[in-house]
Amino acid sequence: MLPIDAAAHSSRWRRRHPVDKAVLGLGLTVLAISLPPWPGAALVLVTALTVLLGPAGVPARRLWRAYRVPLGFCVTGALTLLVQVGGPEGFVSLAEDGGLRAGELLLRTSAASLGVLLFAFTTPMSDLLPRLVKAGIPAPVVDVALVTYRMSFLLLDSVRHIREAQAARLGHTNRAAEWRSLAGLGATAFVRAFDRATRLQAGLAGRGYDGTLRVLVPEARVSVRFTAASCALLAALAALTLVLERALP
Amino acid sequence: MHIAEGFLPPAHAVAWGVASAPFVVHGVRSLTREVREHPESTLLLGASGAFTFVLSALKLPSVTGSCSHPTGTGLGAILFRPPIMAVLGTITLLFQALLLAHGGLTTLGANVFSMAIVGPWAGYAIYKLLRRYDVPLMVAVFFGAFFADLSTYCVTSVQLALAFPDPSSGFLGALGKFGSIFAVTQIPLAVSEGLLTVLVMRLLVQSSKGELTRLGVLLTKKQSATETEAVAR
Repeated sequence: MLPIDAAAHSSRWRRRHPVDKAVLGLGLTVLAISLPPWPGAALVLVTALTVLLGPAGVPARRLWRAYRVPLGFCVTGALTLLVQVGGPEGFVSLAEDGGLRAGELLLRTSAASLGVLLFAFTTPMSDLLPRLVKAGIPAPVVDVALVTYRMSFLLLDSVRHIREAQAARLGHTNRAAEWRSLAGLGATAFVRAFDRATRLQAGLAGRGYDGTLRVLVPEARVSVRFTAASCALLAALAALTLVLERALP
Repeated sequence: MHIAEGFLPPAHAVAWGVASAPFVVHGVRSLTREVREHPESTLLLGASGAFTFVLSALKLPSVTGSCSHPTGTGLGAILFRPPIMAVLGTITLLFQALLLAHGGLTTLGANVFSMAIVGPWAGYAIYKLLRRYDVPLMVAVFFGAFFADLSTYCVTSVQLALAFPDPSSGFLGALGKFGSIFAVTQIPLAVSEGLLTVLVMRLLVQSSKGELTRLGVLLTKKQSATETEAVAR
């Protein structure tokens, strides 16, 4: 299991309905990209971090490990805004307000990422996917997504074992060997995926498979109190941003 | 490279979502029809989605010495066709956003457009064109994967340039800026992905002829004879 999904399974909010967490987490993300970066995204960032480490109980180390991935992309992307092409100062020169634009982008992306992480760290995929049918996604697509989700872990595990076996047989000692090993890894993953699908098909056919995958979904109800509190928090953040935007320089 | 969460302004995020929607809806219809007609396809398509997800997790040694991961769009399009790849790509991008914090939900539309629509269609078009002119399978596979990878990054450059035009030279300056950054890293990576895809396909031709024939990548003797007859006519 991947670290974020593993954390979601043991989250304090695991039993909450995904809609509760979507309103809060994805609401924060929407606010982060819609409000002015200063002070809006900064407020969203602090709020998301507080909720993640406080009520949601996500361990700081796990959060940092997951957060540093999007943060790296955000920093790399923001750096490009520091320079401009053409203009009187030469072909490539420092952009006049590049630092400000890069800072604003960094604030926006890092706050938006935390909102999605709040949802991802508290909602296992196995809780979310079966409920997508009620949201209007066709059942066959959800079934394919469910099989993809469950098979991904098995394949990732297989790939890790194959990679270890290749390393033990000196499969990564030089560039040529590395390419051969990588190609073998990709091809073996394909063969194993199809082999598993065929065996699953045979097993399900023996159990009267009619084309629909029935899975047990943990029961949960949308909490009116939690959703209302989330909406109130989001509204307060939007209002505070508008007030601070006028008051701050 | 996926566009990170929150990177695009709201109007751009919505616009790319709207642009992707018809392709994804078309893919969903194809997939739904396929599953209704052949219920056993659910498992095969799920396996294909998992394979695409795992493929994007493989580390790829680049010609420049850096390291990245294949997009998998070229191989996916050749094996499963672009409409199905639009759905499988969307599922994979959703999983990457939620399970790996790679990409994002607000940028899902933009990433789907580049990685699950333009990449597969461009790669598949080149592959089919070359196969029509009897270019050997492996050469067609190389160019299919190469152009799928490259077109993905070209579209990403356009998306970023539209969102962040250069203060001095506007959209074209920004396109040059993002394009040149990607060119340094992505042309070698596209070559690497093309080579890797050829190696994978060579192994698959040896070990999984049945699956490749079932997917229509390799022709059966009967199909091959019919095709030769049609060309001769």
